[in-house]
Order: sequence, then structure tokens, then C-alpha cells
Amino acid sequence: MKKITKIILQVAIIHIFLFLAIGIKALWPVPLPTTIIGLILLLLALQFKLIKLEWIEEGGRWLMAELLLFFIPSAVGIVNYQEITSLQGLGLVLIIGLSTAVVMGVTALVVERLGGRT
Amino acid sequence: MQVVFMIILTYGLYRLAKWLAKRIPILLFHPLLFTPALIIIVIHLLDIEPTHYSDGTALLTHMLGPATIAFAIPIYKHIHFFRKNFAMIMIAVIIGSFVAIFSTLALALLVKLEQHLLISLLPRSITTPLAMEVSASIDGVPALTIVFVILTGIMGSLMAPFIFKIFRIKTPMAKGLALGMSAHAVGTNRAIEYGDEATTFSTLAMIFAGIVTVILGLTLLPQLVALL
Repeated sequence: MKKITKIILQVAIIHIFLFLAIGIKALWPVPLPTTIIGLILLLLALQFKLIKLEWIEEGGRWLMAELLLFFIPSAVGIVNYQEITSLQGLGLVLIIGLSTAVVMGVTALVVERLGGRT
Repeated sequence: MQVVFMIILTYGLYRLAKWLAKRIPILLFHPLLFTPALIIIVIHLLDIEPTHYSDGTALLTHMLGPATIAFAIPIYKHIHFFRKNFAMIMIAVIIGSFVAIFSTLALALLVKLEQHLLISLLPRSITTPLAMEVSASIDGVPALTIVFVILTGIMGSLMAPFIFKIFRIKTPMAKGLALGMSAHAVGTNRAIEYGDEATTFSTLAMIFAGIVTVILGLTLLPQLVALL
């Protein structure tokens, strides 16, 4: 039970950075998504020792470890789009698969080649 | 009451998928395939509207925001590592992001995909909260983009071992950067199998690929879409 309380508290602390980011975005139209602003703010706060790593480490680890859980409601949303299950859907899956393979292959090869020389 | 039921249902089936996938590592038990499929069946049988389900589980979806912010922690912990490899990470994500967008565009034009599907497909290689923002900014359908992002993640993490074998990829740096670049958070989840170094590179690639695509979404992509 103690661990759960700690995680909840730490997730709440991480939320402060989300709200700060929303506030900043409302006041000043930064062309970055709020989550990236929040990430930068948290990184700066850690770097400048405004907060300690221990205050958020466990909560952050939980959020990252359970990331797939947070995607599930969106994945269920597929039922609203019948077109994905039609013939277009087959084309979509093919495009995504092929393109992902190309991106992964090219990125890996570039890094493997360049990395060997430096 | 229904909210509690839907969150418990989702969490329970998610745990079940993870438990099964650990014991029987086949595609069917992937938490992003097995769990949504069962939920769709359950809500259909119980006559729950899909919109009710998504409203009831809004708290879970909301957590994607703080989860993305939490990726500041691995960056902070590996800040020296990040500085040392800054150039390589940037080369990987800039090349990767352009390949992702242009290969998707070329293939979509080849199969004559409808325009709203094509536009929603463009930001598919980055992490969900960012992909949704890019999708909205280029007049795509964020709900469709989410589905494409998830498909990208699952397919990327499944094909990784084969891709690395075919192209003889050996270093954790290349594996990690390729996984994070091509398959965002789901790929990063996979990178854990290749060790700490691969996981760190994958996390960094995922974050910076997101940033690069967000910047492209504000600059190059609207003009590209206007040409279609």
C-alpha cells in the first residue's frame, strides 16, 4: 500500500509540470505541444536541482512501464472507423508495415555505418 | 459506477494480456491487440456505447501526457551519454523522420489512399500525444492517427529482430535508435530486451523524433498537404 501512495503522490508532482506547461502555452503561444514543454520544464527543474530525482522517480517509472495501458482506450476507438476494416484497411496496414520497415532499416544502417567510424 | 467498471475491466484485461504474453510470446497476446479486441467484444455484448467507454476511460488516456513528461527522467539520468552522442542521435532522427514521412506519402499515393486517411497517416511514427497534435495541425483525424500510431508500434516491435538480422545490425546504439525512431514508445518497450544502452538510445530517439516531426508538422507538412 505504501508503494501505491508514493506512486500517486509522485504522479501528482509530475502533473504540476503538465499544468505549468498548459499555463505557459495559454500565456505565450509556443509552437510546441504541452507535453514537450512539460518535459523540458521537468528536465530543467532536475538539472537546476529545483526538485530531487527521488521525488518523481518511482512515479515516472510507473507511468513509463504502464504506457501500453494508456493506449488501450484509443485502440478501442478503432470501432468508430469501419473503413479501417474494409479494403482500404488492408492498404493501410501494408503501407504502415512497409514504411516502418524502411524507416527502421535505414536508421539502423546509417547509425551502424557512421558509428563504426567515430 | 460505470467509470469504475470500465477502468477495472481495461486494467484487468491489460494485466491478463501481459501475463499471457510473458508465458506465450505470440502476437495474439500483445496488450495492444488482445486487450482492445476483448474490450470491443465485452462492450458490444453489454450494449455499452463506444463513446461511453472512451469517456469512462478518459483518465487512462489522460495519463499519456504525464507519461510523456516522465521521459525527462531517463534523459536527465543519461545527460552525459546524451551530450556525447548528440550528433548521432540527431542524424538518426532527422534522416529517420524524413524517410518516415516521405515513404508513407509515396506508398499512400501509390495505392491511391483517400486524402483524410493519407493526412492522418503522416505523423504515425511518433508517440501518440505528439502525433495527435501534428495530425490536428494538418487537418487530419487524430482518432485515426492514434490507430495508425499503435499499428506502427506493434508492427515495428515485431519486425525488429528480422530487420536487424537481414541488415546485420549488431550495435545497441543502432538497434535502439532504429527502434525509437521507427516505433516510438512501443519500440522502446522492445528495446529493453537489447539492454540498457539500447533502451536509452531508443528513448532519446523517440523523444527527438517526436520533436522533429512536430516541427515539420508546423513548417513543411502543411505545404506538402496543400499540394495534394
